[in-house]
Amino acid sequence: MEIKGPSEDGSLILLKQGAEARVFEATFVGRKSIVKERFSKKYRHPSLDSKLTLRRLNAEARCMTKARKLGVSTPVLYAVDTVLHTLTFEYVDGPSVKDLFLEFGLNGVAEERLDDIAVQIGDAIGKLHDGGLIHGDLTTSNMLIKKSSNQLVLIDFGLSFTSTLPEDKAVDLYVLERALVSMHSSCGNVMDKILAAYRKSSKQWSSTLNKLAQGTRLFPIPTLPFFMPQIWY
Amino acid sequence: MSESLGVSVSEEAMKVFEIINGSTLSLSLFVDVTNAKELLDSMQAGNLEPEVALLNASLIPDTFPVLAAAHKTLVAKARESLTTRTLHSELVYNYSGSKHITESLKRCGISETTTYILAACFSASSEEMTAVEQIINGREIGLEELEARANQAQIQKHYKISGLELAISSVGDAITCRIAARDAL
Repeated sequence: MEIKGPSEDGSLILLKQGAEARVFEATFVGRKSIVKERFSKKYRHPSLDSKLTLRRLNAEARCMTKARKLGVSTPVLYAVDTVLHTLTFEYVDGPSVKDLFLEFGLNGVAEERLDDIAVQIGDAIGKLHDGGLIHGDLTTSNMLIKKSSNQLVLIDFGLSFTSTLPEDKAVDLYVLERALVSMHSSCGNVMDKILAAYRKSSKQWSSTLNKLAQGTRLFPIPTLPFFMPQIWY
Repeated sequence: MSESLGVSVSEEAMKVFEIINGSTLSLSLFVDVTNAKELLDSMQAGNLEPEVALLNASLIPDTFPVLAAAHKTLVAKARESLTTRTLHSELVYNYSGSKHITESLKRCGISETTTYILAACFSASSEEMTAVEQIINGREIGLEELEARANQAQIQKHYKISGLELAISSVGDAITCRIAARDAL
C-alpha cells in the first residue's frame, strides 16, 4: 500500500497556502479533518531543510497537545506523519475572531459577544503563559470560535515554544496588541478587556505586563502609514 | 433456536471501519470472558488463529482512538517500520500512547484475569471474525457500551489526563492526542 501525500492526492481540497505550509480539508477515519503539510524550501540545503521541517513539525504537535493539557482548547491532533511532513487534526467548524471582529466593524459591535470573546482570549493566553507556553503568532485569524459551543479555539502553533521569561510572554501579548490596533480599531479597546481577563487568569501577570509596558515605551511601532498606507490615504 | 439467535446478535455487534485506502479494522466487544489465560498463552506462543489484537477494553471509552491507533499502525506497516513484531501487537502498542513496549502490551493488552476485551482485526473476512468470536469465551455486546463501561480513573492515570484538560476535552479526544503525538515527544 502506498501512502500518498496531500499534494498528490487529488481528493483533498486546498484551503490555504502560506509561506511554510499548505492546509487541506480531508477525512480521517470517518471524521472531517484538516491536513497541514509543511513543504520543503528549495533554497535551503536539503539536509538542513529536512531537519528544520521535521523539528518544526514535532514542535507544533507538542505545543498543540501541551496547550490542551493546560486547559486551552486547540484542535484534537489525529496524526503526525514525519515522512510526508503532515499534521492531521480536527476540523473546527466556526468563524475566526478576525472575521467576527471585522463584521463588528461593518455592522456595529455586539458588546456582549465582544466581551465574551475578549475574556476567553485573555483567559486562554493566561493559562498558556502560566504553563510556560508561548503561542508565538497571536493574531485574530489564529483564533476560532467553535459554532457548536461558542468556545475559543487557538490554532497554528507553528511558531510556538516553551519559555517562562516575562519578556517572551510580553512579546506574545504585544503581537496581539499590534494586530488588534491595525485590524480592529473600530471595535474599541479590545486589548484592555483582554488584559483584564489575562490578569485574572495568570498568576504571573504582574511581571509580564510590566515588561509589556516597558516594551511599548522603548520600542513604539513608529507610524502606521509605513505598514498600511491604504488606511491613511 | 437460541444458538442461531446468539449468532445473529453477535453479527450485529461486530463493526467494520475503513481506516485508509480501503484497509479495514473489525471490532468486537466481549464481557464476562472466561478464557483470557488460554488466549494470552496461545498469543504469546504465536499460534493464536486467526491473528487478532485483544485490548483491555476498560481503557477504551470510544472507538475513535482505536481507529487513530489503527491508522498509525497501517501507515507504519506500509513503510515497513513496525516497532513490534506483528501488525496486531503494534495496534496495542500504539493505543497505549507510550513508548514502553512491554508496559504498553501489559496495560492495554489482556492479562490472565481480564474479563472485558475488545477484539480488533485488520482486513478480516467475515469467516475470520466468526472464528474470533468462537475462540473468545464470553458474551458479545455492542460497541456503544464502551463509554459507560470504561474505567475513567484507570484511563486518567495511565494517560496522565488532568481535570484541567477534561474541562475542554473528552476522554477519547485526550487519548487520541496522546496516540498521535507520542513520537513527537
